[in-house]
Amino acid sequence: MPNLKELKNRISSVKSTRKITSAMKMVAASKLRRAQELAESSRVYADSLSFILSSLAGNTKNSADLPEILTGRENSKISLLIINSSDRGLCGGFNSNLFRNAKKWISDQQGQGKSVKIMTVGKKASSFYKKTDLDIVASFEDLNSNDRQLQVSEEIKNKIMKLFENNEIDEVSILFNKFVSAISQEPTYQSLIPLSNEETSEGESEANNAIFEFEPDKNELLEYLVPRNFLTQIYRSVLESSASEHAARMTSMDNATRNAGDMIDRLTLTYNRTRQAFITKELIEIISGAEAV
Amino acid sequence: MINLKVVSPQKVIFEKEVEMAVLPGAEGDFAAMPNHSPFISSLRPGQMAIMSSNKVDESFFVSGGLVMLKEKVCEVLVDQIEPLSDVNSSNYQQSKTYQELEGNETALGTFEQVVNNPPYK
Repeated sequence: MPNLKELKNRISSVKSTRKITSAMKMVAASKLRRAQELAESSRVYADSLSFILSSLAGNTKNSADLPEILTGRENSKISLLIINSSDRGLCGGFNSNLFRNAKKWISDQQGQGKSVKIMTVGKKASSFYKKTDLDIVASFEDLNSNDRQLQVSEEIKNKIMKLFENNEIDEVSILFNKFVSAISQEPTYQSLIPLSNEETSEGESEANNAIFEFEPDKNELLEYLVPRNFLTQIYRSVLESSASEHAARMTSMDNATRNAGDMIDRLTLTYNRTRQAFITKELIEIISGAEAV
Repeated sequence: MINLKVVSPQKVIFEKEVEMAVLPGAEGDFAAMPNHSPFISSLRPGQMAIMSSNKVDESFFVSGGLVMLKEKVCEVLVDQIEPLSDVNSSNYQQSKTYQELEGNETALGTFEQVVNNPPYK
């Protein structure tokens, strides 16, 4: 028979766990709102920029005229994967989904005869990939605590531009959890070098219709635009990832709160039954004692 | 009237109908007015002026960016933007824009010259 005191302790500890998870859920919900707003308001800039880029690239007939950093190198050998994880845990399958997905991608790339380098964003990814034998070129941590997203995106951009110029990498992709809705996030790849076709085809029909004049000439403009575009894409993925993180945490903490509630119910039932059993047992003892006399 | 939309990487800063906007293009200032031919240009640091009937209504300092001009729309993608009067006040030396652009020659001179003596008044 379970000990009454033990049961009582257990109930109170589950109760305090429930308090914590429900508080975390509420914090995540309010942070989610902010992150979502930020992600949405940054979309305008990103869309306009990719529109300009696509009208620039679309206007150039010969793709050989475009810089390498836009079209990518022929027979690329080394690809870089930027993995956007979270800094903190307790957010359900947010990180493990991502890592599982990345593993598949990496073995795909290796199957094609490319070597893979990793750049990690967030503490979870850096501690996970430290244990693997993959080549980590850089790690960035602590993004969301002080609104450092833009600054860190800038650092990432500078790093990949430098690596590309030094021929240390030929391709760059970004992996992040795309924010679909508050209950669903999906791991998404986006190719930075070469620039993904999706991105260029988005406004292409419209972009080709309007013939823009460019000032200064295209190449100079591209020189300015390409790094800008990297920055915006990275920044966008960081924001999406942070919105997804809060959403994932909110749902998983909601589940945890509900589970804790169920557990408390069950434990309370057991507690009451046990107590009743004790009372009955005592009564029986008293009565049978009295009868014996 | 032309629809002027000013956007930074974080958000849309403002969007409104204006008669004319003068922008510091990379190769010289130009005015955005309705029915301008489609045009894309980068911006150098300088003054952005919103004008109506030859008077400057509002004046901003932009630290650089891009502009896309279509028939009825003028989209300005800026890195940083501040009302010129804010940059102009005595504490502008502490401002981040100032520190980044100090000593940076623009076609109109240094940042300080643009701020102290804006080309459009």
